[in-house]
Amino acid sequence: MVLNLKAVFYTLGMLVFFLGAALIIPMLVALFYGEAEWWAFGFTALISLFIGAVSWFYKEKANQELQIRDGFAIVALAWLVLSLIGALPFVFGGVLASYTDAFFETMSAFTTTGATIFGGAGNMDIESMPRSFMLWRSLAHWMGGMGIIVLTLAILPLLGVGGMQLYKAEVPGPSADKLTPRVQETAKRLWLIYVGITVAEIGFLLPAMTPFDAVNHAFATMATGGFSTKNGSVGQFDSAYIDWVITVFMFLAGVNFALHFRLLRGKTVTVFRDTEFRVYTGIMLAATALITFSIWTPSMSFLPNLQADGVFEGYASVADALRYGAFQAASIITTTGFGTADYEIWPPMAIGILFVCFYIGGMAGSTGGGVKVVRHVLMFKNSFKEIKQLIHPQAVMPLRLNDRVVSQEVMKNVLSFIVLYLGMLALGTLLMSFLGLDILTSFGATLSSVGNIGPAFGTLGPSENYAHVPVMGKWVLSLLMMAGRLEIFTVVILFVPAFWKR
Amino acid sequence: MRAIVLGAGVVGFDVAKLLSHAEHDVVVIDSDPEALAYVSDKLDVMTVCGNGTSTAVLEEAGIRQARIMIAVTAIDEVNIIACMLADRLGVETTVARVRSGELSNTKAVLNAEDFGIDLVIHPEESASEEIVRLIRRAGATDVVMLADDRLHLVGLRLDSDSPVIGKTLREVVFGESSIRFRVMAITRGIRTILPNGDERFRKDDQVFVLSRPKSVPPILELFGKSDRRIENIMILGGTDIGAKVAYRLSQEKHKSIKLIEDDRQRAEQLAEMLGSVLVIHGDDTDIDLLITEGLSDMDAFIAVTDSEESNLVTCLLAKHLTVRKTVALLSKGAYIPISQSIGLDAAVNKKLSVSREIMRFLRGKHVKSVATVHGMDAEILEFEAAPRSMITSDILMNLKLPAGVLVGAVSSGKDVEIATGLTRIEAGTSAFVFVMPGQIAKVESLFAAP
Repeated sequence: MVLNLKAVFYTLGMLVFFLGAALIIPMLVALFYGEAEWWAFGFTALISLFIGAVSWFYKEKANQELQIRDGFAIVALAWLVLSLIGALPFVFGGVLASYTDAFFETMSAFTTTGATIFGGAGNMDIESMPRSFMLWRSLAHWMGGMGIIVLTLAILPLLGVGGMQLYKAEVPGPSADKLTPRVQETAKRLWLIYVGITVAEIGFLLPAMTPFDAVNHAFATMATGGFSTKNGSVGQFDSAYIDWVITVFMFLAGVNFALHFRLLRGKTVTVFRDTEFRVYTGIMLAATALITFSIWTPSMSFLPNLQADGVFEGYASVADALRYGAFQAASIITTTGFGTADYEIWPPMAIGILFVCFYIGGMAGSTGGGVKVVRHVLMFKNSFKEIKQLIHPQAVMPLRLNDRVVSQEVMKNVLSFIVLYLGMLALGTLLMSFLGLDILTSFGATLSSVGNIGPAFGTLGPSENYAHVPVMGKWVLSLLMMAGRLEIFTVVILFVPAFWKR
Repeated sequence: MRAIVLGAGVVGFDVAKLLSHAEHDVVVIDSDPEALAYVSDKLDVMTVCGNGTSTAVLEEAGIRQARIMIAVTAIDEVNIIACMLADRLGVETTVARVRSGELSNTKAVLNAEDFGIDLVIHPEESASEEIVRLIRRAGATDVVMLADDRLHLVGLRLDSDSPVIGKTLREVVFGESSIRFRVMAITRGIRTILPNGDERFRKDDQVFVLSRPKSVPPILELFGKSDRRIENIMILGGTDIGAKVAYRLSQEKHKSIKLIEDDRQRAEQLAEMLGSVLVIHGDDTDIDLLITEGLSDMDAFIAVTDSEESNLVTCLLAKHLTVRKTVALLSKGAYIPISQSIGLDAAVNKKLSVSREIMRFLRGKHVKSVATVHGMDAEILEFEAAPRSMITSDILMNLKLPAGVLVGAVSSGKDVEIATGLTRIEAGTSAFVFVMPGQIAKVESLFAAP
């Protein structure tokens, strides 16, 4: 066998054990609110803890170094297995009738996509769901945001030398850097920062929400997930204060956590000089400004508006336009997917800008999904270099990022990532259209799933849900979400025949 | 504790690996991104790409929190400057690899202290020392010194005529009560075993025995290895190491020493330097020359040319001509595992012997890891028993130590005792423990206060 099966089984078992421990939290919440479904969590937790305990017997035999293949297999299988198990409470508790729906919802939660099937086609709506299930969705977001494996690495040194392999495979971005010499330390720091910012957000939300809503929304924001406890997402609170708090924290969640780390160490200058950070902030400001302009009633008259049927009249005050514009820009760029307005009725210019934002993504090393800003930066730099090279065929022009030369290896990796990303979009769109969805919906759903965003276009807009997608389509989208979260290579590699050959 | 390793070559990699396994925060600096990529793939360490003589690079590597600096790049001057900088920036211990003899010369105008270097290591020096040690102990394949030379770990390979083959370890030990020794490890093929009393010796086993230096000759005899004096020696290659080995051996009583060098000028220079050594100018790949010069009459053959392939091949030839002791210098380390199985007596890797020396030095300072022996997986660690720790609760026999852990010797201040099943470790004394990788944490808890 090409894989070190015992080591893979042992590591997966430990991760499942962790999931079991995490499942106890929603169980306690259910007991606290006196909900009858507490046993659904308790039972799943028992199963998980049992599997984890069995895998413990393989510890001695697994005590070898993990090879590269094992690392890839562990990461990809871990996300699949955890979603398969994490979906069980929905079915046991009778909240969802179909396991497909439960799996879709759980994968959507872990990958921080935030696409839901609640609220349509025979499923109950979000607000009638027991609170423990709301919390489970948010908690899954939160664990998946910084990474389940990174979390495990932080707490247990169980992954040994292979740890770096797994860390690299789970942390998004073309090159995952360590903050400290030891992987375990790095993982600990990342999680501490993550927990810290989450607690801060809860603190800011508390004055305007119930504690339960504050915790859920903070989890969903920091993970750039997008599940809300309300049918109308964040928009239902209709509070400018909440909108702005969440906008700011979405922005923070989309920033590389290595930069947060440096900021905490007082290295402010290096953070603000970081090219990716500048571009990310620039995109955010530009998108906000343009959207605000296009949805502010006084300026709308300057724009050719094809939706002249008067569905959307724009926001009369510039403060409102800015509030909704900034929120939606941050929500899509960071791939969170919260909604305060139905952007599908906005003028084409606003939709166009959001459409582009769907593709950009957050920063590398953040909890956000998508292509990641740094890859765009590198790709454009490379293209401009090629153009210059046409003028000076003999010139030697190294590619620089933050005053450092970017190696050809990284550049190749970035380019093939983008090609695979586009290929994934094409394949997904094709598959969805085979299942009978219209082309805009097919493309939107694929783009949204691979980018881990949530809301899409067509019949899957921010005010709609994914319940009506055919069963096959839900599985396809779930896999696309996983591929997107693990940055494609890790998932695709399992389907390459060479992976399974010596 | 943070340690900075400058240079991601073979030595740097090895030192970084040992330090990282000893739970240190290791940062490796090198200017070659490819070498760094290899390091960060294989080891749990951080890497910084840049010039080690630049303060900015050192600061990026966190030199202000670092307590150990090990400069082992290929360039002497870089190593020296990096250590000077590190010393200025408050690093406690600095180690530099310096090939040139200038600093270690007793008449030197500038010595290591002037540069703030705590330990100067000299790869050629350590390798030639190791070779000479192996020639003195003709029957052994490895000789490692522990506890300031008060203990020797001797490796020996069991030939088919060894009297212990087929016997269990217990039979061998009880049959010979006059010598105190302990069999610490047996390497069989690629597997390392920390044996118990029921383990049976087999042909071709590589046995590692711990004892006091003076008991080594009778032990070699017990295992059927003759420690007969080596009279005639042939050295192939007039490299730095070759010259050093020839010089050292010529200071001892050997009948004849021949040194073969293929560069005329170098040969003449060596002949001037080494009075009592017969220097022969000739192609070192010329097998006929070796045979005409009486290779088959030699007691020992040492191949230290720059090409490790020709070192290997000529040693095999010498072995074929029944030369008793062959030593090959292997610089890459990749051939070391096969050197035993193809019948070589001993292989010396100058780079690995350097990392071993560094670890030995650091152990005195901060690190508790002691030594690793190539060809043996187990590590040798020194632990001090805390008061009321598990290990002090009973004699070793009754303690039921985990598999893959073996106590070799106990040292209390000046005294070193070889451990037996009846030994009881007192609080405050330290023990040399052989540990298979992965069991280190368990041993730590055994020696820690409850």
